[in-house]
Amino acid sequence: MSYRWVEHTAEMEMEIETATEEAVFTDALHALSELVADDAGGEQVRREVVVRGRERAALLVGWLEELVFLAETEDLVPEETERIEVSDHRLMATVRGHRGRPRHLVKGATYHGLVFERSPGGFRATVVLDV
Amino acid sequence: MSEVAQAGVRGFRQVDEVVWELGREARSDMRVPARVFADHELIGQIAADRSLEQLQNVATLPGITGAALAMPDIHQGYGFPVGGVAATELPDGIVSPGGVGYDINCGVRLLALPLTVGELVGRTEALVHEISRRVPVGTGHGGALRLKGPAFDRVLVHGPRVLLAEHGIGTPEDVVHTESEGCLSGADPATVSDRARVRGADQLGTLGSGNHFLEVQRVAKIVDPEAAGVFGLRQDQVTVLIHSGSRGFGHQVCSDYVRMMDAVQARYRITLPDRELACAPLSSPEGRRYLAAMACAAHFAWGNRAVLAHRVREAVARILGPRIAEGARQVYDVAHNVAKLEVHDGRELCVHRKGATRAFPAGSPEIPRTFRKVGQPVFIPGSMGTSSFVLVGREGAMERSFGTTCHGAGRRMSRTGARRQITGAELRHQLEAQGIVVRCPSNPGLAEEAPFAYKDVERVVAVVEQAGLAGRVAQLVPIGVVKG
Repeated sequence: MSYRWVEHTAEMEMEIETATEEAVFTDALHALSELVADDAGGEQVRREVVVRGRERAALLVGWLEELVFLAETEDLVPEETERIEVSDHRLMATVRGHRGRPRHLVKGATYHGLVFERSPGGFRATVVLDV
Repeated sequence: MSEVAQAGVRGFRQVDEVVWELGREARSDMRVPARVFADHELIGQIAADRSLEQLQNVATLPGITGAALAMPDIHQGYGFPVGGVAATELPDGIVSPGGVGYDINCGVRLLALPLTVGELVGRTEALVHEISRRVPVGTGHGGALRLKGPAFDRVLVHGPRVLLAEHGIGTPEDVVHTESEGCLSGADPATVSDRARVRGADQLGTLGSGNHFLEVQRVAKIVDPEAAGVFGLRQDQVTVLIHSGSRGFGHQVCSDYVRMMDAVQARYRITLPDRELACAPLSSPEGRRYLAAMACAAHFAWGNRAVLAHRVREAVARILGPRIAEGARQVYDVAHNVAKLEVHDGRELCVHRKGATRAFPAGSPEIPRTFRKVGQPVFIPGSMGTSSFVLVGREGAMERSFGTTCHGAGRRMSRTGARRQITGAELRHQLEAQGIVVRCPSNPGLAEEAPFAYKDVERVVAVVEQAGLAGRVAQLVPIGVVKG
């Protein structure tokens, strides 16, 4: 895991440092999963996800919003990405998780202080979630 | 004047006992000053996070008029600070979805029961437990009112009056005693995405998580007997306060329109210091579509609180009897995340209130006739285990804050910080030791809302009173809390 939570008075700000671009999205899923996960281990499910955006940072917001949508509407607690392809304006992934009772904690992923950039170690991203 | 006042706080200078201001010359992109209502203690807490910087960013928005305002409960948010107020002038001033927030029309409804806490004795735990059984919290869907197709759309267009007419939820007095009677003009379901509909389909009448809660309270103190009489509140009366919003439906509307507006900034030649402030002129197709969708989400939220109130009355009927349930009156319902078209000093403005509450004074034609002698009721929930306040709008709000006051205590500590200091189990024990019945399925969720994570609500209320924005009417203390 290469994400951490930055102190924020009211919301949840995740900061991610990874070696690869794809891993930014995978670790964003792990971070979100920490927030919404339940204790139950229900039926295992896989879900194909396609997200479109203007650039990588917008794709990251769209990706998190898609995971929030699946948690809220299909009770999908995300656990892992099994396949992920990222291009300039599109992300395609297979999300693995289980049916459970995910917390409806995250209202949305915001563009506030949104960062997705190269770093000495690979890639760095920050996103603030409205909770 | 104190040393702090003379030196300023992050450039903000004290202009009177409870007002701090940063001139527009402080930053080349600011169009108006940034102004904060706070005392010395609160301004120090406010300066500890990034809320003052966020307030300055709001001051750069095209079409903003007067000043970018902050209530004493301001804290760092995303884009706008929470506790921020921005009025933009029609036709070409902007509307910003981030200036309303993801939880469109998050707000507070107060019910007053026809009995005193003395008459409730021995039945408090049963009442709180019964409410928790009937009100879905956290992840819960069960108990929600499921509407589809045209029936769902009619709620989006007309708000809670449709729930009354078609589903027998609420009373005619409930509708009248709701801000704007629960209905904004221009709501258009065609501007709402299918994803929003899917998220909202089974969420009418659900409380949600985070800082949303439902509290059974006692009127501990009457401060303004005349206004309290008009609002129907008396010493030791039992009240129920409901704090919730538009749930996933409103969250999705906000997400959809932040994304839409983010894509059109160049078209309108708008340059922003923060991408989450994405906006469009009120006269633009994007601006008009957002207002139409936002109105649908506001109606959903008022509908949500109407169903929640209905569930509370069902619980009251079961535990205390149908006569008590029938006598449970809605004092009022206020929105604290919304953008509304209002006329101030003869100018038509779009007033963004993000974590701020409308507080119109006596005589306003916008408030129910029964309240016009004293002003509009405003509800300020404290943190769990502390007091909440009923306020009344004052003339000073029209003169100084576009008819606005604060909305709560305001966070001062992060959720992770709160969890580091106390566990949910410990907090549950502390609250129960104070005689407060707690029903919350999530221990981490409980810990995140610990009272010490919030500012002192009494200090916040004292500031808005001193500034003339609102006056204290009554103090409410919790005897039971239900949260997700």
